[in-house]
Amino acid sequence: MTPILVAITGIGSVSPYGPLAGLIPPCSTPEPESITAWPTPALRRAFLVKPFRPASVVPGLKTRRLDRLSAWALVASSLALQDAGIDLGQPEPEPEKFDRARIAVVFGTGFGCAELTEAFYQSAAVNGWRGTDPSPFPEGLANSPASHVALWHGLRGPNITVGSKGVAGESALIQAASLLRHGQADLAIVLAGDTLTRAIYEWYEAAGLLSPACYNAEALPVSLPEAGDSVPSAFMPSEGVVALVLEPAGRRQARAYAHFNSGRWVAGGQPVQTIRQMLGDSIPSLIICGSGSPCANGSTIALAREISGTNVAVVPPQIVPPQIVPPNPVAAGLPDTGAFLHLILVLSSRPRGGQALLLGTSGSGTSVNRGFAALLLELPRS
Amino acid sequence: MNDPRKTIVVTGIGVVSPYGIGMDRLQSGMLSGKSCLAPSKDLYPGFAGSTAHVASLPLAAKDNQPRYSRSDRLAMVAARDAVRNFDCEGAASRESAVGVLMASTVAGLSEIDPAIAQDPAAWFRNGDGLLRAASYPPAHVADAVGDDLGFCGPRCAISAACASSAMAIALAANLLLDGAAPMMLAGGSDALCPFTLSGFNSLQALDPDPCRPFDQNRKGLNLGEGAAVLVLETLDAAMARNATVLAVLRGWAMTNDAFHSTAPHQQGRGLADCMRLAMEMAGASSDDIGYVNAHGTGTPLNDVAETHAYETAFRSRTRPVPVSSTKSYFGHCLGAAGALEAAITIMAVRCGALLPTLRLTDPIESPFVNWLRGEVQRQPLPLAMSVSAGFGGSNAALIFGKSESGKNAFRNSESGNGLA
Repeated sequence: MTPILVAITGIGSVSPYGPLAGLIPPCSTPEPESITAWPTPALRRAFLVKPFRPASVVPGLKTRRLDRLSAWALVASSLALQDAGIDLGQPEPEPEKFDRARIAVVFGTGFGCAELTEAFYQSAAVNGWRGTDPSPFPEGLANSPASHVALWHGLRGPNITVGSKGVAGESALIQAASLLRHGQADLAIVLAGDTLTRAIYEWYEAAGLLSPACYNAEALPVSLPEAGDSVPSAFMPSEGVVALVLEPAGRRQARAYAHFNSGRWVAGGQPVQTIRQMLGDSIPSLIICGSGSPCANGSTIALAREISGTNVAVVPPQIVPPQIVPPNPVAAGLPDTGAFLHLILVLSSRPRGGQALLLGTSGSGTSVNRGFAALLLELPRS
Repeated sequence: MNDPRKTIVVTGIGVVSPYGIGMDRLQSGMLSGKSCLAPSKDLYPGFAGSTAHVASLPLAAKDNQPRYSRSDRLAMVAARDAVRNFDCEGAASRESAVGVLMASTVAGLSEIDPAIAQDPAAWFRNGDGLLRAASYPPAHVADAVGDDLGFCGPRCAISAACASSAMAIALAANLLLDGAAPMMLAGGSDALCPFTLSGFNSLQALDPDPCRPFDQNRKGLNLGEGAAVLVLETLDAAMARNATVLAVLRGWAMTNDAFHSTAPHQQGRGLADCMRLAMEMAGASSDDIGYVNAHGTGTPLNDVAETHAYETAFRSRTRPVPVSSTKSYFGHCLGAAGALEAAITIMAVRCGALLPTLRLTDPIESPFVNWLRGEVQRQPLPLAMSVSAGFGGSNAALIFGKSESGKNAFRNSESGNGLA
């Protein structure tokens, strides 16, 4: 394998911040919304994507029969390509630069197209298994969003959907970079995201994972916990999709938000030892604690503090210090796929250049069975 | 010989199929020409057509918890079968970093019933609903395998519809070359359940009779269930632990049709590209491929598109390429199909046995394809290819070859994998 640096040259997102190309404007702070999409016994809140017409953002896009996850993936990928300055319009785009047969799509998701999966069960509940509605079945497959991205943009390279507890986004990014490094693709659109559905929300509720702020109008905590403080294990669910454009650094004259240097992603073992081994002589000045399952937030911060020296800024997943980005727990509301949103929130705050470690964990047990992902990024000087 | 640090080899195969547990059951069943397809109505009243199910799925009592779906349990049994010859104690530290990439399209859907859609909260409160629903994400299958075996390396689910587990094998090979783990378990697992039967029934994709892939009178697919797990490592690592090499993964590729969300590209463009890329990686010409284990679902659209793909990829051959679909034996196992067919392809390479497609009496006409039918053909098979495709335009191709000479060459009768 040729050791190449992989650049993030485009960002697109559909999140409670709205559909956006590039970074998130300063002072954007979504408020939790009351859930109205399904009947609730009393007030229930979450960070929700405000309904919008995908074709108003990406002209010509038809999403009526699609799961919202697929629709958002289409919008986010289009915005990311636009942000990267890549025009995939008809006919074949700039053949000397981009061959559609060599553009990969890698999508990380925890739950896949849960909305249409629930619709298919609803159809079975009403009509029996012999009378189900055919339309939600193929569209409910977990790989539908990635395949729609390929179909819309005409991308014939590898098309992969991955799921990994707590670290699906990080896993997607590592595997997309691997495709580039092995020469199996020249460019990759890597996405991560989930939708919030009734069954998912009520599962969190039944499991006792919802923050008290989901049930009343109280604000979520915004202060940075001191070392030793307990970090709340409950959370407010969120939804959205973030797309990143990855390409080998220096392949063309393009702005890079960050460069992906190396990554490790494992389901257990000795995280501190493994991450220090990966870092070698590198000393990140910033550790961004990505998503991780809600009950793993504490262990993510503990791990970050164990790795970091005293001069390293640690951005926790749920409670973001105001001096780094506006206080917002939106990214932490995506247990498996919030890392990308967290990353772009931090990039939006224009951190000083240097190295940053994007860290996510899954599981809350001892270090041996604590899964984690660690991505070393090089940030350009702003 | 290629660089052993960059050569990916298969050192273990675990299988749960409708023939039973293990490669020996699969091999003896298939070589005897036995079909496992049986009327669906026996298990799923109201559904016509045929399915193939795993009749017995033994697990120790401690494993028989509701938090494990049937797909989880199929995967765990296959994974245990794949690693049963390991000296885990002697290599504990190394093997603890083993990675697990498991594909599934069903995962925990088999544990959930339609009542969840009407009142999820009530369904979760009812008995073990909360635990059963927790097995819903595809990643749960990989976690079940990894936790069961105590493997802590990279772990994730791969979803690419019916190409999922072939892609899991390809991606695991990439991760090994990246040095992300010393060894990878890669495969797929899918259980039969009303959800998928209903889905394919609603699409009118099921053949009411036992399926007839590549036959001009084919009417659709049959569903099956099962799991297969390959143990992959570099040749260098396999030699270091004196492991038996069952096959070499010589080439792999993944593409997408970018044509339609459910239908394949009519000329098989993406699949043909995929086979070409895999042959390029293997350094093989189209004449070098001695057998192709086809995707061959038996649906009208797939089989024609796939035939066109073979005509493109193998047009330069001097003789028609031998092709068969082993879905005619035990149906389409969805997310497990690619891994099961990879195991069958390895079996073909090791035995020099080219399995025929069952019930193929009037094949699609093609001057470039030698449709295998009738009796098992015996011939040396240096290289064979397994191809997979799925909804969403996903394609994957894997090329397996014999191990080259030396200590790690095949030891047919000693492997214990039933691959003699």
